[in-house]
Order: sequence, then structure tokens, then C-alpha cells
Amino acid sequence: MIPVLVLAFKDLKLIYRDKFGLFWLLVFPLLMALFFGSIFSGMGGSGGRSAMPVAIVDQDQTDFSKAFVDHLDSSTAVRVLRPGADSARLLVRKGKAVAFLIVKPGFGSWQRMFSGDTATTLITGMDPSRQAESGYLRGLIMEAWFAQLQGLFGNASNRRALISKTLESIESRDTPSDQARALKNFLGPLDTFLAQSDTGVLKSQSAGTGGLTKGPRIAREEIFREQAGPRSSWEITFPQAILWALIGCSAAFAITVVNERTRGTLMRLRLAPITRGHILAGKGAACFLTAVLVCLFLITFAKLIFGVRTPDVLSLALAIVCTAVCFTGLMMFISVMGKTEQAVAGAGWAILLVFSMTGGGMVPLMIMPKWMVTISHFSPVKWGIYSLEGAIWRGFSAGEMLLPLAVLTGIGLVAFTLGVMIFRKTD
Amino acid sequence: MLTAAHLHKSYGDLVAVDDVSIEIQRGELYGLLGPNGAGKSTTINMISGALPADQGDIVIDDLSDPSRPGTRRRIGVSPQALAIYEEMTGAENVQFFGRLYGLSGRRLKERVKWALDFVGLKERATDRAKAYSGGMKRRLNMACALVHEPKVLLFDEPTVGVDPQSRNMIFEKIEELRDSGCTILYTTHYMEEAERLCDRVAIIDHGKILALDTVDNLIRAHGGDSLVRIELVNPPDDPGTVPGDVDGVSVRIQTSEPVDVINDLRKRGIQYKSINIDRADLAAVFLNLTGRNLRD
Repeated sequence: MIPVLVLAFKDLKLIYRDKFGLFWLLVFPLLMALFFGSIFSGMGGSGGRSAMPVAIVDQDQTDFSKAFVDHLDSSTAVRVLRPGADSARLLVRKGKAVAFLIVKPGFGSWQRMFSGDTATTLITGMDPSRQAESGYLRGLIMEAWFAQLQGLFGNASNRRALISKTLESIESRDTPSDQARALKNFLGPLDTFLAQSDTGVLKSQSAGTGGLTKGPRIAREEIFREQAGPRSSWEITFPQAILWALIGCSAAFAITVVNERTRGTLMRLRLAPITRGHILAGKGAACFLTAVLVCLFLITFAKLIFGVRTPDVLSLALAIVCTAVCFTGLMMFISVMGKTEQAVAGAGWAILLVFSMTGGGMVPLMIMPKWMVTISHFSPVKWGIYSLEGAIWRGFSAGEMLLPLAVLTGIGLVAFTLGVMIFRKTD
Repeated sequence: MLTAAHLHKSYGDLVAVDDVSIEIQRGELYGLLGPNGAGKSTTINMISGALPADQGDIVIDDLSDPSRPGTRRRIGVSPQALAIYEEMTGAENVQFFGRLYGLSGRRLKERVKWALDFVGLKERATDRAKAYSGGMKRRLNMACALVHEPKVLLFDEPTVGVDPQSRNMIFEKIEELRDSGCTILYTTHYMEEAERLCDRVAIIDHGKILALDTVDNLIRAHGGDSLVRIELVNPPDDPGTVPGDVDGVSVRIQTSEPVDVINDLRKRGIQYKSINIDRADLAAVFLNLTGRNLRD
């Protein structure tokens, strides 16, 4: 074990000191992520600025509630969906609606508004993480509600009809006698006044009607959205960037293997009291460690700077480890594909670029045509991105993670074994 | 201390080493002299355990099979190629190889310090190897072979591409190692190196050892006569009185005993301006043994 660590540490030191190599390992993937992340910044579920899909269930079904919903629908900021109550919650959970709004029976009742009834008449539901949209939607609801009030009080015949309806309902309902008397004493003279007065006078004062109440009572529900899609373009471009970094890592270490051969240091290592297995394991360990460190660097950068989520740390750790294993294996295989640095570099980049092109390293998997997605199954880059995305935004369960992780590990082990066999044969 | 018996190695139809046997005593500096492609490096690679022999036995310090870790710890190899990491400092290179040979802690520190000091790189220990001159890199290559204090040292053409000053220093260090009791196998295609350093020299060509002895004995046995060139004060009246080929004042005499020839000239009273003796050397030995020049 100690010789393996000594060898791996030596390779890490050499890689760290190769500034040009470090550029390809760290800076280039980062630039790729930033460049494509900026280009695709309209993608993902950032929402907010375009019309917010809001699922609205009108259980009140009064003229007031219908007008209220229509008012929201007429807003350019909201796109109203009209599902059933249960479906509304589901739409939010699945990320197809930003929020739901349930208009409860009694919402449009005039008596409630005047009687000081504090019963909840609106229920909204939204992912608690979407604070900005939540506040925005609340503002839109209040605006729609007051707009309806203004509509009612701005029209003289509406006002008198409402007073008349209210006086009738006071008679028919079991309103406490004190309250009934007070309302009658207030509304009766008001009705007479409205009938006699110039409507223009009241029209100018109608804006003040909002002072009657503080708005509808709104109950809020927290609905945790299922991770059905990337929240931002960075969640797409950073897994890609990680794979680019691993491609760079694989190519760099493959070249160091052939470098050792051509510069004679491999011969010196072979003369030391260590086995060939130690030498190859040392090389593999250095490549693996570098791959993991580069992944951690990019993920941390993405998380801190761009808010890329890491909801399932264990899945993410497994994805990083298995992807690193895969590209360590590929490194070993590529390192025996030529006898000179130029040959290995050429073969390595050719193979890895094809893997990257077909595996979603250049075009995101989610926007690939179907036939290309089929081809991508043969690329380890696809499985690497898939597993990282699974841990970041696809919300894979343990069972769903198993396939990409198994494929990555399998490719890594087969490639490493083949590489070692060819190395032994050609050594 | 080191015995290699009947070593054989071939690559397809090409026989690289053919029945080579070597026996080196403790503290002896043994030279393997031959042109490029003679089989020197193949022999050294088999002895070091880097290359399996097709046939033959190797015993080093009573341990057989040089591919075993225990045997390898007793061997230090300074390969022909500069097997160092140029991006690492001199000290890091020596330290790295020391660790591979099982050294650690204080002992490792001491040995690294000693090795760098021994090869004259103490002052440049913290510089990266890529900043070293060719001669310094060679010496670093040597330090990496010495760090674990091996009993047997294998030097494979250690002065290739080295300036005369560094070459001289390498010679001195190798002589120091021999004097300290190290057993050394030294391959070269420079006869001057073999003549200066080696206690015994094996002449190798086409994978076979053609002759093995001390330098003097080899020359005596295979070098042929020395050439004595004399410039006389006056041309002789009778050229028959002067031995050898006479051409005016120039005389050329082929002899195995040049000192006797000079004494004879003095006795005869022949006056001369200068005498030049071209003594037979290992190049002549090689020429006589193979019919080819050592540098061909």
C-alpha cells in the first residue's frame, strides 16, 4: 500500500506542477460550464419573469370569485390552469405550476366581508424555496381582490343591489339582533342616501372602499416540488463540465504512463523492489484522486456561485466516485494505445471526444433527438452526466441510480483490466 | 558477489545475448566494453531483474532471482536513460526513489543528504531537475541509484552526453565507491573509461563475450605491437643500421617491447630529436578480436 501511495503522491505532485495540464483539468471545464450556462440561461425552471403557471380551483363559484379568477387570468404575469383541488397540488408538486390557489366557498359573500368573518377564504400553496414568486403572487391576489371590490363599489346600481341583498339576508339569517339592528341602522340610511345623491360624488370616493377590510384571509400551504427538471442552466452545464474535466484528467494521466516509458523512469520503477501492480495501481490511484478532487472543486464552485443543488449528497458522492473509477479505467486503456506521447494523446482525445459528442458532453442529453439518445447509451460520458444529473436535479431514487453507477463501474473495471493486460504484454 | 552464468536472451531471430557469463568479486569494478548494440544493456537489464533471461542463472550476494524485492534492494541501477522526473527537485527525486526502496524518516533524510552531497548536488538540491545541466542530471541519476545504499551497483553508460568536467567527476565518484567496497558492473563503449576505471574488462560484441581480463593483459594478449615513431637528428648513412622502416629522418618500428627498442637505439649511438610511442589500447584489442572498429 505504501509504494502505491508514494507513486500516487509523486504523480499528483507532477500534475500539480504542470500548469498547462491544470488549465485543462480545472479552468477549461469551468469556462465551458460558464459559457454554455450563460448561453442556455433561459432554460430550466427559473420561471418568474415569464407568465407564472398558477393552478386555481374556484370552489366558491360566485360572480365575485369568477371575476376574481378572470382578473388573475387577464394578468400577463399569471397563466391560470383550472384543475381539480387535488390535481392543483399535484401540478405544483410536479413543477408544472408555480403555485395553486383554492378559492373556498364564501369567498364572494358580501356579508362575510362586512361582518368581520375571519374564516379563511383562500388557500395558496407553493414550494417554500420560491420566496420571490410567493410574494409576487400574493401581490397579484390582493390586486385582483381589490379590483373586484372597486368594481362593486364603483357602480351605483351595484352598490344599491348589494345593500338590498345584504338587508334581505340579514332578515333571513340568524344574525344576532344587536348586529342586525346596527347593520340595518347603517345600511338603510346609506341606501336612501345613495338613491338620492349624485353618483359622481361617490364615484370619486370609491377608491376608498378598500378601507372596509384588510383583504381576504389567505392560508398558505407548503408544497415541496419534486425535482422534475433542472432549476437553472448551471445544473445542466456543470455535470457536463465535470465530464470534460474527467476527460482531461484521463488524457493527461494516459500521457504520463507513456511518458514514464519513453523517459526511462518506468524502467527505473521496474527495478525498484515493487511490483508492476504497484506501479499501475499508483498511477490509477493518482488519476482517481485527481478526478475526485476536480469533481469536488467544480461541484463546490457550482453550488457556491450558481446555487446548483446537491439534495442527495450520498448519490452525488457515489456518482463522482463511479465516474472517477470509469475514467481511471479509460485512462489505463488509452495509455496503452500508442508507444509515444503523440500517439497516446491523439488516440485518447479522438476516443474521448467521440464519447463526449455522443454522450451529451457537447449537446445536453435532455435536448438530444431520440436517435442520438439511443447512441448515447454506448458512451461513458452519457452515464457520467446521467448519474450526476440524477443526484443533482433528476431526483433519482437509489434504484434509479443503480444502473448508471453499475455501467460506469463496469466500464471502468473492464477498461482498466484490458489496459493492464496490454501493458503487461507490451512491457 | 555477483554471478551471472550462461545468460541468453533473444528477440525472435535476433540473439541479443548469447551465453554470457560474468563473475564479479566483492569490491571489484568490472567493465563491459562493446559498441552500441553489442548486448551490454540487455545483459545489465537481465542482471538487474528488469528483463527475464531466456536461460541462465543470476546470483547476487547469495540471493538468486533479481526480480525479487529482497534481491533488488541490494542492487542500485544507474540506467543509460536519464530516469529522473524533471518537474521535481533533485532532493524530491532522490527522496522518491529512496521511499520506493523502503527508506523513511530520519534514515531517508540522511541518505538523501548523503547521496546529493556525494554527487556534488547539495547546493542545487532544491532546484527542479529540468534546470540542471546534462552533467548534473547524470549525477542526479547516479544519486537516485545510491540512496538506498546498495551492495551492487550497475552503471549503464553513465557518461553519455556529459561534458568532460562532469565526466571526470563521475569517474572520481565511481572510484570512490569501488574503494569503499561496492561491487560495480560498468558498461561503456568508451575504451578510455574502461582503461581508467575497470579492474577487469570483458569485451562484448554481438551478444558474446570475446575476451575477459585486466586491461594490461588484454592489450598484451590481443592488442598487437606498439608503434614507435622516431625523428632522427640526421638521416642515417646506412639505413640498414637502423631497425624498422626508415624514410629520411623518420623511423617507424612495430614492437611489443618499445622500451627495449629505445634502449637499443641509445646503445648504437643513434641521435634522435623525438620519440613517440603509440601503445596498443583496448580499441586495438577490439579491432584485433572483431576486425571492426569499436566506434563502428
